[in-house]
Amino acid sequence: MIKRYLSLLIIVLISLHLSAQEWVVPAENGARLSPFAFSDSTRKAGAELYNTNCKSCHGDPGKNNVIKLVPPPPDPASAKMQSNPDGALHFKIAEGKTPMPSFKNILSSVNIWQIISYIRSFNDKYVQKTQTKPGGSGAAGENAKIKIAWLKETHQVQTFISATKEKVIQPVAGTEVKLFVKRYFGNLPIDEARNTDAEGKALFSFPKDLPGDSAGFVQLIVKLSDEAAFGEVKADTTLAIALPTYRPPLNEKRAMWNVVQKAPIWLLLAYTFSVLAAWGFIIYVFLQIRVIYRAGIRKDQ
Amino acid sequence: MSNNNKSTGHDHVSREQENGNSRRAFFRNLGLIGATTAAGGAAIYSGYQYEQSKPNHDFVKVLTSDNRLVEVPRDQIKNIKVDHNQLTKLGREGLKGHRFVMVIDLSKCRNARKCISACQSAHHLRPHEYHINTLIMQESQNTAPYYMPKPCQHCDNPPCVAVCPVDATFKRQDGIVLIDNERCIGCRFCIAACPYSARLFHWEEPVMAESDKGKEYNIELNVPQRKGTITKCLFSSDRLREGKLPYCVSACPNGVYYFGDENQDAVTNGTSKETFRLSELLKVNGGYQLMPELGTKPRVYYLPPKNRLFEFKDERGQEKETT
Repeated sequence: MIKRYLSLLIIVLISLHLSAQEWVVPAENGARLSPFAFSDSTRKAGAELYNTNCKSCHGDPGKNNVIKLVPPPPDPASAKMQSNPDGALHFKIAEGKTPMPSFKNILSSVNIWQIISYIRSFNDKYVQKTQTKPGGSGAAGENAKIKIAWLKETHQVQTFISATKEKVIQPVAGTEVKLFVKRYFGNLPIDEARNTDAEGKALFSFPKDLPGDSAGFVQLIVKLSDEAAFGEVKADTTLAIALPTYRPPLNEKRAMWNVVQKAPIWLLLAYTFSVLAAWGFIIYVFLQIRVIYRAGIRKDQ
Repeated sequence: MSNNNKSTGHDHVSREQENGNSRRAFFRNLGLIGATTAAGGAAIYSGYQYEQSKPNHDFVKVLTSDNRLVEVPRDQIKNIKVDHNQLTKLGREGLKGHRFVMVIDLSKCRNARKCISACQSAHHLRPHEYHINTLIMQESQNTAPYYMPKPCQHCDNPPCVAVCPVDATFKRQDGIVLIDNERCIGCRFCIAACPYSARLFHWEEPVMAESDKGKEYNIELNVPQRKGTITKCLFSSDRLREGKLPYCVSACPNGVYYFGDENQDAVTNGTSKETFRLSELLKVNGGYQLMPELGTKPRVYYLPPKNRLFEFKDERGQEKETT
């Protein structure tokens, strides 16, 4: 009995210890602000995103119907959640910490800010501070564009980033670029994220063994990581640069488990032969009986 | 006799007179009726026209397939019947150009059971009817215990399909092994043949039999379930058709499941939605298959329970010790 109480006490202590662990947010992330002002439309978009991604654990804001976990996920309307600065919320949603999953590959930065705008709608005292200069450093420029080129000799993908700065289209240097290949359920990252050089160019080495379609076509997607500066900038193109791959349907071959038309030939032959043999024997017996019958008649005569 | 004749003659005359009167009356009445009918008809018709032309305020809320709640006028609703044979034919063919694979990372499983509940609610199963069994594993006395989710392995050489006498269970071109509950005769040969114990038999009436009554059978979802037939993991083929990850894969909170296409050499994690190269993931982590020595060629791979993210907590085991 004492043992049971003791183990219960230990479990309670452990859970207290777990919930007491602070979630440390790096200062520069905590100070980040939304690049746009929260409005009814961002709150509406945020509510939709919240319902599909967050509600299953965090429940309806203000209704305190969170899922039972240790430590419990806080209610978005609670003081615990609302005491976080905007940047800290953004960081926590993006990075996650067990058991909270990371959402940086599921939601874009803009989507996360929309969810924060929805969460903030449950706090009457909240006054939003927006980024004064959309563009972070201010030097990044506007209307960023991505060009994609294929370098056949070196088996590389070259991206060129340009943006309008001081009314002139100029290459963007030192910004992070990511290359992906479209797959059925998601985008496969190719090589590592690269920073553009002074000419706005970044090179990605493309794997030689990546399968494409039967003609080797793959869809490439290039994204800029700095969503705070440029917003969501994305370019995609389809190139025949992957390994041409054709794999036949898995039920094409003849096999024991396949449908009758695709049964192994030996099985079809053996079956047909044995059926013919069985019927042949029966017919033979009947013929013999007939011969005996005929012979009997002849003898009587 | 004469008396009789007379009387009949008189009758004849009087009847003629009567007939003449009544004919006139008849035509008079007919005119009256005709006029009233025409007037009434015109009134009804104009009323009908008015009903047709006036704006219809009777709206019905409808949830669209892309999850938007919209309102449509009630009289605009058309009931579409899903072409059952077409659905079954598509379900038998499978998705062209794909070979679906699943990778299960045992180092991340902590028996949260979210995959199981998502699966059961999608396929209308009871809480004790599993398409995915989460096994508590301990190889020997001194080795560490771990959890192992075990769905159908969707073998490339499926013993269950080979023994089916009625072609109810079959393999598709994308590698998925499905069951047609409308063909299944409940002989349970496939249960006996499966070395992974992936199949279960509906001994009792399925849990949602009442509410599923009259629903069109979906071969890619096995809904409505049928008493006296087999059911098992379907790799959520209805979701794959839409380009979505299976129910279990996207429900997992711990990143245990990866799902993807072997032809594209890519698998996507259901929790983080990160995509990896299948060949590299298996190579780096030492991926393996269940009982490959049987020659069943499973389509499910396992990553060993190395560097476990969660402590193994077996509530049942603890209870055993304390009592």
